[in-house]
Amino acid sequence: MIASLRAESLKTRKRWANWILFGILLLTLLLIGYVVVYVVLSNPPPNFRSPVPARVLKREVFPENLVPNVLAFTSRIGTAIMIILGGLSTASEYGWLTVQTILVQKPSRSAVLLGKLAMLAIVTLLVAVVTLAATALTSYLLMTIDGTSSSWPSATVLLKGFGALWLEFAVWTAFGMLLGIAFRSTAAAIGGGLTYLFVGEDLLGQVFRNTEGVKEVLRFLPGVNAGAVNASFRLTFRNPDTTTQLVDATRGTITLLAYLVAFTVLALLIFRRLDVGSS
Amino acid sequence: MPPRRMGLAQGLAVETRGLTKRYSTGVLAVDDLNLRVRTGEVYGFLGPNGAGKTTTLRMLSGLLRPTSGTATVAGGVPGSPGSLARMGAMVETPAFYPYLSGRDNLRVVARYAGVPRSRVEPVLQQVDLTDRARHKFRTYSTGMKQRLGVAAALLKDPELLILDEPTSGLDPQGTVEMRELIKELRHGGRTVLLSSHLLNEVELTCDRVGVIAKGKLVAEGTVDELRARSGGSALLVRATPLDQAQRLLESLLQPSKVQVRDGLFSLAVDPSQAAAINRRLVADGVDVSELRVSEQSLEDVFLQLTEKPQGTGS
Repeated sequence: MIASLRAESLKTRKRWANWILFGILLLTLLLIGYVVVYVVLSNPPPNFRSPVPARVLKREVFPENLVPNVLAFTSRIGTAIMIILGGLSTASEYGWLTVQTILVQKPSRSAVLLGKLAMLAIVTLLVAVVTLAATALTSYLLMTIDGTSSSWPSATVLLKGFGALWLEFAVWTAFGMLLGIAFRSTAAAIGGGLTYLFVGEDLLGQVFRNTEGVKEVLRFLPGVNAGAVNASFRLTFRNPDTTTQLVDATRGTITLLAYLVAFTVLALLIFRRLDVGSS
Repeated sequence: MPPRRMGLAQGLAVETRGLTKRYSTGVLAVDDLNLRVRTGEVYGFLGPNGAGKTTTLRMLSGLLRPTSGTATVAGGVPGSPGSLARMGAMVETPAFYPYLSGRDNLRVVARYAGVPRSRVEPVLQQVDLTDRARHKFRTYSTGMKQRLGVAAALLKDPELLILDEPTSGLDPQGTVEMRELIKELRHGGRTVLLSSHLLNEVELTCDRVGVIAKGKLVAEGTVDELRARSGGSALLVRATPLDQAQRLLESLLQPSKVQVRDGLFSLAVDPSQAAAINRRLVADGVDVSELRVSEQSLEDVFLQLTEKPQGTGS
């Protein structure tokens, strides 16, 4: 597994697609989630209507709301990017046939995949750290520019927020990785993952959110559970939004952990069993 | 250099017993294959396209699971870390990361194989790729890709080297260079299992040959043994008048041993009878303008063997 992890680290570091994905995540988060929001709410258009005044809404981008704002923003774009990252990491190996080059070296199939998993865990950890750090810096700069004051979240909240972000990134990356192994096609893995995310979780989840029976099924979906975890971190100017959540944050966390384990085990089972290069 | 020790019973680098692969589509790609590759030899695995060569090599490398049968490769079960540690393989196409340079690709493979980084430069040199090692794999020509594939297979300095169609897609110059490289690779007692559909390649590089057709091993032996097994040599005679010569030859030999094509008789007889046949033809007023022995080419043998699959030969 260590040999595989060392090989993965070289591949991951030198793959431009990974850096581009990370760049997209960071750029959209900082630009759209922070700079644009700040500029618009600092100079609200004349037709701006909101029960909460713009000067209060603006506090969303200040340090006091760091964790809920990052989690809310990354819950879609971050999720999509992590599915792509996971899908690329495994499906590309089949697309380039490099999986057969790897599997005729020394490590067992389990060791090869566990090395890849460990690398993805490290990547998602680093992405979570850098994302939080970059948004914290941007938030601080915007606060300074605005000439206002704001408090930083407590260490506990920061730590919990970081944990939630990493867990969600890891779950969706594992999902993408599983799809890559199951479909053996980059297009199918990414297409399937994003379709599930935007149609399965978002569209159907919203339409049938209050339909009895379906609601019970929705309670088990990873996106719904991630949403419940995110909602437990509240914006300072809003009341807790827990009543609209189908599950509470604790159950959400446990369900996400269960998904992480399930995706990993399934990926391992498929990777170990299936022939490579069969027709 | 002293011969490498395979640590194998009976000196076999590869042994299969009843190896069979039936795909989920129902296609029987390999059928009851019994293969024995001796330690230290260059073994040519010969067969037409679609005969089951690559499927067999994939099973030997642990990429495919056999439907039935067993195999021992480099002293271990195919695909087991013990077996993989002692073999290097390039199966089908050389597959590498297009965004990495040749050198970085080998570093990645070396890390997987647990081989020190210092092995990369010697193998690049061995396949004459040092000058282009810093360029991205996606810019490589077919020949360079093949050489990088061989370099990757050599990283572990393996006792057994499996190469699947190593000259596929190469130009004549590249083919000659690859053949020379393969000849060098056997030094030190290394076993090479080489698959090909190119008869000339196998004839020039291999000690022994196994011929596979429709998933079955139809013959195995040295090139000379295979020639002999398929009838060996023939006597070629050009004589006129043709009708008279044919009547005479068919009365002298059995009609089944006389074939005529483009005015040239091919006689399936021992070449030592040439003088006697010549005397008899001349005595009967037939003019003999050409009389020579023809060695049957490996191509003839191959076509004979692969047109009608029979039971396993040895």
